[in-house]
Amino acid sequence: MDETALIHSAQNGDLDAFNTLILHYQDSVFHTALRVIGDEDLAQDAAQEAFISAFRNISAFRGGSFKAWLMRMVTNACYDEFRRQKRRPTTPLEPDAKQADGEEMESPRWLADPNMTPAERSEADELEHAIQHCLDTLPTDFRTVVVLADIQGMDYSEVAAASKVPLGTIKSRLARARLRLRECLRGFEELLPSSFRLQEEGNS
Amino acid sequence: MKKFRDIEQLSAYLDGQLSPSDSVRLELRISTDPELDSVLSDLRLARGILRKLPARKAPRNFTLTRRMVGLKPPLPRTFSFFRFSTAFAAFLLMLSFAVNSVLPRMSFGGGAPMVAQEAYGISGCDEPCSPSAMAAATEAPLVSSMELAAAPTETSEDTARVAEPPTAKEAGNLSAAQDQPQVQSEAIIPSSWQIGLLIIGLLSAVLMFALRQSALRKWK
Repeated sequence: MDETALIHSAQNGDLDAFNTLILHYQDSVFHTALRVIGDEDLAQDAAQEAFISAFRNISAFRGGSFKAWLMRMVTNACYDEFRRQKRRPTTPLEPDAKQADGEEMESPRWLADPNMTPAERSEADELEHAIQHCLDTLPTDFRTVVVLADIQGMDYSEVAAASKVPLGTIKSRLARARLRLRECLRGFEELLPSSFRLQEEGNS
Repeated sequence: MKKFRDIEQLSAYLDGQLSPSDSVRLELRISTDPELDSVLSDLRLARGILRKLPARKAPRNFTLTRRMVGLKPPLPRTFSFFRFSTAFAAFLLMLSFAVNSVLPRMSFGGGAPMVAQEAYGISGCDEPCSPSAMAAATEAPLVSSMELAAAPTETSEDTARVAEPPTAKEAGNLSAAQDQPQVQSEAIIPSSWQIGLLIIGLLSAVLMFALRQSALRKWK
């Protein structure tokens, strides 16, 4: 895929070229939105909004990392979603994965994945829920930085470009976010993979 | 607990974002300070867990359609010409109807009483007529021949003349006065022009629609 040529075509109004770019980046855009927002349906909406906004503003793209530019679109879409939720708070009809009495509900999502046994899927789901829970406890700005740097694997300059904040702020937010996450994940020690637990035991 | 500056440096060190000299200095400190080493392990652990998080695939394609981004098909230049001609023909057609319905009434309101009065010879003054008398005659209500005939007992000389049956010449003038407004209402904008405008408007609209459909088909 010649990304530069596709971007150039898209800047000239070629929607098919832009759709090729979408197909290449949609997984990472959706995953970022999901980790920042924490809700699959809202993440889909945010990802779609991000792509629409990206196409409308692609003439403003002046080179550099296209992925970072796209991530800025998706983080903006996530912030818009948060603002919308604040204006019109909603109550989900489906029960939360963790009920008020602390008893966890079984997630039916393992049925959809044929590659894992139900037990493995269940464990993976629980760990994912735990990590998402800890991410949700972070302030939005910290969460965005940690998702871009640690989940998307972007370097500091790309994260700075995507978040539109200085490099120093990225370093600071990332360090704080990691520390808070570590504290939060201590509460889910039994869910962590054995390698992480052994490491933790070795350190203590 | 270490200073936040140390933690920040450890986090950057973990990501390889420190300069080589800073890295060497920090490594020396880590080797001598177990607390720094512990914090570094914590940070590494948090980062490792996040990186282990399974990447979720997009549940559907997010490809865009032209409708979603508000793109419109490129229309040929003739499209705007036909759009303009349709609108212009429609405007002229409406204008012609308005002219035909409004103008005859305006001319009838001013001219018809005068014609009728002239036909009956009830100008209300001897020759030459003064302007005030003319105005009074114009403002007087139109008296139809039936009304005039129904009042034979008037005592004035003029009224007596009105009550008399009109002569042949006067009858001719009366019929001309009755016919005049109808002739005027039909003559201002001929109906053939209106039909022509209607045909032009319809043709332009049909061509405009065909051009748009053709452009849409090509675009798809």
